[in-house]
Amino acid sequence: MSVTEAQGQPRVRHLRSAVAAAESDVPVRGRPAAAVLPALRTLVPELPAGSLVSVAGGGSASLAAALVAGASEGGAWCAVVGVPEFGVRSAVGMGADPQRLLLVDDPGRRWAETVAALAEGVGLVLTRAPAPVAPALARRLTSVARRHGCVLVVAGTAWEGTWLRLEVTASVWTGLAQGHGHLRGRRATVAALGRGAGGGRRAALWLPGPDGAVGPDRTAEAPQDGGVRPVRAAPRTAGTTTTEVA
Amino acid sequence: MTADGPVRTMAVWCPDWPVTAAGIDPDTPGAVLSKGRVAACSRAARSTGVRRGQRLRDAQRLCPDLVVHLRDIETEGRLFEPVVEAVTAITPWVEVLRPGLCAFSVRGPARYHGGEKPLRDAVRDAVTALGHACGAGVADGVFAAVLAARTRGEGVVVHPGRTPDFLAPFPVRILERPELADLLGRLGVHTLGAFAALPPGRVAQRFGAEGTAAHRLAGGLDARPPAPAPPATDLTVGASFEPPAERAETVVFQAKALAGQLHAGMAAKGLVCVRFAAEVTWSDGRVLRRLWRHDGALSELAVAERVLWQLTGAPEGAGRTRAGDGGPGTGSGGTRTGDSGTRTRSGGTRTEDGAGEGARGGPGDGLAGKAGASTWDGPGEMAREGSGESAGEDPSDGAGGVVALRLIPDHLVPDNGRQSALWGRADASSRVERAAARVQGMLGHHALVRAVLGGGRGPADGIVRVPMGDLPPPTPAEQGPWPGGVPDPAPSVVPPHPLPAAVLDADGAPVAVDGRAAVSAPPARLGIAGADPVDIDSWAGPWPCVERWWDPASRHRRARLQVTSGPRAYLLVIEDRQWQVEAVYD
Repeated sequence: MSVTEAQGQPRVRHLRSAVAAAESDVPVRGRPAAAVLPALRTLVPELPAGSLVSVAGGGSASLAAALVAGASEGGAWCAVVGVPEFGVRSAVGMGADPQRLLLVDDPGRRWAETVAALAEGVGLVLTRAPAPVAPALARRLTSVARRHGCVLVVAGTAWEGTWLRLEVTASVWTGLAQGHGHLRGRRATVAALGRGAGGGRRAALWLPGPDGAVGPDRTAEAPQDGGVRPVRAAPRTAGTTTTEVA
Repeated sequence: MTADGPVRTMAVWCPDWPVTAAGIDPDTPGAVLSKGRVAACSRAARSTGVRRGQRLRDAQRLCPDLVVHLRDIETEGRLFEPVVEAVTAITPWVEVLRPGLCAFSVRGPARYHGGEKPLRDAVRDAVTALGHACGAGVADGVFAAVLAARTRGEGVVVHPGRTPDFLAPFPVRILERPELADLLGRLGVHTLGAFAALPPGRVAQRFGAEGTAAHRLAGGLDARPPAPAPPATDLTVGASFEPPAERAETVVFQAKALAGQLHAGMAAKGLVCVRFAAEVTWSDGRVLRRLWRHDGALSELAVAERVLWQLTGAPEGAGRTRAGDGGPGTGSGGTRTGDSGTRTRSGGTRTEDGAGEGARGGPGDGLAGKAGASTWDGPGEMAREGSGESAGEDPSDGAGGVVALRLIPDHLVPDNGRQSALWGRADASSRVERAAARVQGMLGHHALVRAVLGGGRGPADGIVRVPMGDLPPPTPAEQGPWPGGVPDPAPSVVPPHPLPAAVLDADGAPVAVDGRAAVSAPPARLGIAGADPVDIDSWAGPWPCVERWWDPASRHRRARLQVTSGPRAYLLVIEDRQWQVEAVYD
């Protein structure tokens, strides 16, 4: 017995670790979860394949583009169904690869079938339903997505069974003044709600930043880090000038 | 005839074909004009001195009652078609050189008709029976055969090997290379015989490739050494159904077998097709034909799947036939709820997970899963249900089943193998391709696109939408500097059609932009598409942008303005005094 134990243990351990490794990425058959942009990982570390994400309200277009960009950057194909105004350049600026982006601007009456067909093939489908979606249909589409390991991102009204809801709760654009400057970026506070976000999380982000990418907004966090504010440098006193006042 | 010499060729020539096609009788003096000069004239006109290339004024001076028509090449080609058909009845491989002149190799047909002279008589009889004058000549090579056909009005047969002698007395301008003929004339070389006698190396040295080709022609050879190309073969495969097939499976299984034949036929020839057309004929005579991209990568199963999608997923849209919906919908009346096999997919199963199953029918699983289960209207039913509309509008105009199925390979190219992109980055995986092809089958080829980014100033400029499966346009990315372009970051909402807007100043008057790109007053309020105006918090611009001023069709003279209003920012553009929201920074 002791002999077999001695021989068997390493093998059992090996098998256990193999099983654990296999189980850890099983939630979906053969497909890894969709990646998320690094800046959004404080809100949600990753989107498990088959999850239903909803973006709504002001800023939803940028959030949707950011989710597409994240999945695309992670190597997945993405599809955009029924969102003809999707800003391709904006998504590309956030990191999406246009080569792996499929656009169906007008699925017409075959919206549900189109979403289902694409969910079988790609890693993330961003869609806006042409009409309110009945819970039964939402369940069916989610089940197709889950079976094939696809993330459904829904713009507009959230469907039943939404796993994660992302919202921009406050935002301000910077760079514009009265008649000069140009838009440089937006500081936004993004809230994540729902099962996928635990009790709800918030993050201050550049959505997008001056280079078009999404990044954390450090200036907004700084005051909460103990109230340390950048101190204005004292003006240097130059010997010749007398008008300067400290 | 030597193995590498020119092929014995017969040319069939209908004299003055442009004139004949214009409806001018050979005995009436008539001419056809092209670019103000005589392109062809009738026999009667020629006897008065009218020649090709003359100006109309000169021709009319020589022949005052000349009937003149403008040249119409399309009609010439169309009217020559019966002649070609008549010749095709004698030998199938006929090459039309131009309207009025065709040629074919005589090797086979001459043996069948018992010699070149009997063949020539048969051809002349066939063409003359149509009421056209005709000359037919046989010689080595097309060039000599054409000359032989035009000799003595009715053509001659030049004996094998005697072609150089036959050609020798012709003047060099018969080569139809005016510059060369002019030069040769000044060098004292006036006939083809004299030209052919020059050493080939010297000709190549002095006259280059074109001179060499002419020299070979003059010597009775082909212009270029023969480069045999595979003859255009018809690899179409088809099957008919007797009695008409009522169920999709029957057709799809047949399609699978046909696809096997198609692939075998192409492989035997070392060819691969870029696309194939699947043509389904219903018993009431309607034909549904759809092109599918093939790229040589479709298995038999994949071809069969595409036929199934074509049967079940005919798009309903303007300009497309509804045969796919109408025909099968009615054909399946009795089978819908009936003998479902392993998995029920008929109309009644919508309760459980119909959306998933219905939509997944094609790509996810092969034919085996659907055997005996899928009915005509599975996905069709789903679509109607899915979009929340009534299912009652299917046109039931009494089509029976499918009577014929044909798979037609399109655009055959040599099979050079397939090279995947390194690391497969830009390559669609097979499941993406399957999903895309399925959507394209439902909505049409152009409904599913990939965006190719080019350069441009506006947010929507330079984004080319290329249907999945098509190659992107050759010059998509013009990444030059775009002065006057909208700076980054790009807007996240770009409506396909800009929304009309009203930009007002603090007094409520519309804001205008003058020729020096200055606003008449600071913009204060913004109304979009007739909605109540909102306050503008900050703004910048206007940035003038004058594009393609040299092209009246696509020129733009406009100015852009960025404004923010609360949490949103807008990109406004003014053109022809009309403001529009070009994009929203949402």
